[in-house]
Amino acid sequence: MKKRFRSVVFGTAICLGSALAVPPAFAEDTIYAPNLAYRTGPFAATGIPLMNGQRDYIMMLNARDGGVNGVKIEYDECETGYSTEKGVECYEKTKSSAVVTQPWSTGITLQVLPKTNVDQIPILAPGYGFSPMSNGKVFQWAFNPPASYWDGASMMLNYVSDGDLSTLGGKKIALLHLDHPFGKEPIPLFEAMAEEHGFEFLPIPVGLKEMQNQSAQWLQIRRENPDYVLMWGWGAMNAGALSEAVKTRYPMDQFIGIWWAGHDDDLKTVGERGKGYKSISWSVPVNDAPVMADIKKHVVDAGDSLIDNPEDMNTVFYQRGILISMFLVEGIKAAQEHFGTKVVTPEQLRWGLANLNIDDAKIAELGMTGMLAPFSTSCDNHTGHADAWILQWDGTKFAPASDRISADRGVIEPLEQAKAMEYADANAPWPINEECS
Amino acid sequence: MLYRTTGQFKTSYAADHALFPVRQDAVLMVIVLLFAWVIFPLTANEFVFQALLIPVLIYSLAALGLNILTGYAGQLSLGTGAFMGVGAYACYKLITIFPEMNLLVAIAISGLFSTAVGVAFGIPSLRIKGFYLAIATLAAQFFLVWLFEKWAWLYNYNASGAIQVPNMDMFGIRVAGPTASSMVQYYFVLFVVCVVTYFAINITRGRIGRMWKAVRDMDIAAELVGINLLKAKLIAFAVSSYIVGVSGALFVFLWRGAAEPNLFDIPLSFRVLFIAIIGGLGSILGNYLGAILIVALPVILNIIPEVFGLDINAATIEHLNIMIVGTLIIGVLIIEPHGLARFWAIIREKLIIWPFPH
Repeated sequence: MKKRFRSVVFGTAICLGSALAVPPAFAEDTIYAPNLAYRTGPFAATGIPLMNGQRDYIMMLNARDGGVNGVKIEYDECETGYSTEKGVECYEKTKSSAVVTQPWSTGITLQVLPKTNVDQIPILAPGYGFSPMSNGKVFQWAFNPPASYWDGASMMLNYVSDGDLSTLGGKKIALLHLDHPFGKEPIPLFEAMAEEHGFEFLPIPVGLKEMQNQSAQWLQIRRENPDYVLMWGWGAMNAGALSEAVKTRYPMDQFIGIWWAGHDDDLKTVGERGKGYKSISWSVPVNDAPVMADIKKHVVDAGDSLIDNPEDMNTVFYQRGILISMFLVEGIKAAQEHFGTKVVTPEQLRWGLANLNIDDAKIAELGMTGMLAPFSTSCDNHTGHADAWILQWDGTKFAPASDRISADRGVIEPLEQAKAMEYADANAPWPINEECS
Repeated sequence: MLYRTTGQFKTSYAADHALFPVRQDAVLMVIVLLFAWVIFPLTANEFVFQALLIPVLIYSLAALGLNILTGYAGQLSLGTGAFMGVGAYACYKLITIFPEMNLLVAIAISGLFSTAVGVAFGIPSLRIKGFYLAIATLAAQFFLVWLFEKWAWLYNYNASGAIQVPNMDMFGIRVAGPTASSMVQYYFVLFVVCVVTYFAINITRGRIGRMWKAVRDMDIAAELVGINLLKAKLIAFAVSSYIVGVSGALFVFLWRGAAEPNLFDIPLSFRVLFIAIIGGLGSILGNYLGAILIVALPVILNIIPEVFGLDINAATIEHLNIMIVGTLIIGVLIIEPHGLARFWAIIREKLIIWPFPH
């Protein structure tokens, strides 16, 4: 008995000791860029390739160029399991020494968004988060390049209408979406568009508990027989939807997912039967791009990557992860040049991310020709609104099946403005940067 | 020696009924309160406040609410998460409808909404018992979370379906919202937790508490000695749901800052139930010990490798963490099925008779 008491006392002492310990300080000549990763939990299958891509690009820069302008980037992961609670814990843990927060979930983004004004740390949420974050005057610390969900929704409509939205009149478009902040994001835009162009909009929510069993939703789709099914799906929901679509024989080429619903592994489960499925995507896999060769040489072949099989490099999500890290690195570079320093502060990085200029020359210089469309950000445009492509599944891989598609910024912008102001009002006093022109 | 009770004579009933009849208990309590009120806030940084101190307090409060129902009155409930949600949504509606309302008042009132819902779902408890009651509360859990999702009025028709805490002041100090300081939030939570705990201790050791325990131990016998079962059970549901509702409001307003409906889903209910079971059913102290084990330990385990400079993959740490905490839970329940509170009771007993154990 006595021995047990002693171990209890000892255990408590250790716990107390470590609770009061401060997170370690980082060396002066590195930039600490943590990532709130999720390699565990229900969304791990989609998280792992993205995180691997992000990690490997930074590892490649550190190995090939010795970092960015001579400063190594310390890439670190904090595991969230896609749980909002863990995400906030990770944010609190990393914010003191980090230059950026990469929240990786719309839920965590919403949670930390108001805190960034106080903590003065930029949020980088490429291709996800809150669409009105594009408004840099209101969301001074949040960045979601290269395209927001509303851009994606608008591009999908432009694609299905062949660029002439008036042809959608009388058509029926269903939105199969996760019943979660992420899945609800595009609804305001679709509703506005439906009213304007006279098509019927039918949102079909999929609860978090129903992700793997969507028979009710697909029964509804069969009954309503919409002209198009658009999908805002994530994680296990995508595979569930695809297998149900195959079962109900919904025509695959009328089924279009958002960029997070274009994951190779989800499609591999249905294989040939998923042929024709489309996904809008701001990134295109280019397996022979120079940057891929560099990553293969410096990271994968050197055994520093976490991927098991070099074949995994040829997936949409892995290569998208690379682009996401590229945005961060380009932001750091811009800040380094503008401020003439090597180790940038979060404040300086904010300037860098607001002055990204990813033009064709830059993309070629980075060895990423064809992987994404050019865009640039500014003080009041934190997204950049790059064009995207439709990727189509050919039974074994995704391949581009359209020209570049743009979003109708004229329709989206007023909506973004209104929602951003609504957010600022609800969270008053909310600082608004009036300096942007 | 440390816990010698000899010489502490009680000369009046009042002294015998004191909250802490043994002097050492009172001293220990003062030390704990001193740590909670002075030493932790002085030494803690933002991370410790947000990831350890505040969540442990809020989860303890939720477990305390559940413990009154399950541990004292013997009614198993699986709907704690949803009742927390009722408190949180009620508080959100109150402060958006009446923006001038004092947050403390809003939280106190939002507990009443949770009470009403809790009592409504408690009415069947007279007829259905044990696991069947658990299933009835499970229905409450699913129904309420569904309601949080579908009833857009609850979240003010927000497009994302989530509720967000606005900046709120109390007596000129920012207490809630993104710009509130962690220390203020900690003190707010600590104050509420201390007040509720004080009442909970006194209710459970008084007439009502005895009534609950009688119902828990054998309801037919309790009825025979003249206890009104329906009343006893409904009071238990009311008090428990009130505390759970208050903890839910604190959970969102003083800690999370934003919440989506599925936050209040069944994993939250189970988490609170585990805290209560591992801490010890039918004890107040156990809730705090349980919350430390379930809420704080994983956070501490996560930072240990970093403190010792070990470079382990974040996902591996998470997996190790789940394994260690799981093993500990099983271990604790094998060694002491009555939970950590019983563990402490044994330690205390041994200390009292030390150094001459029989």
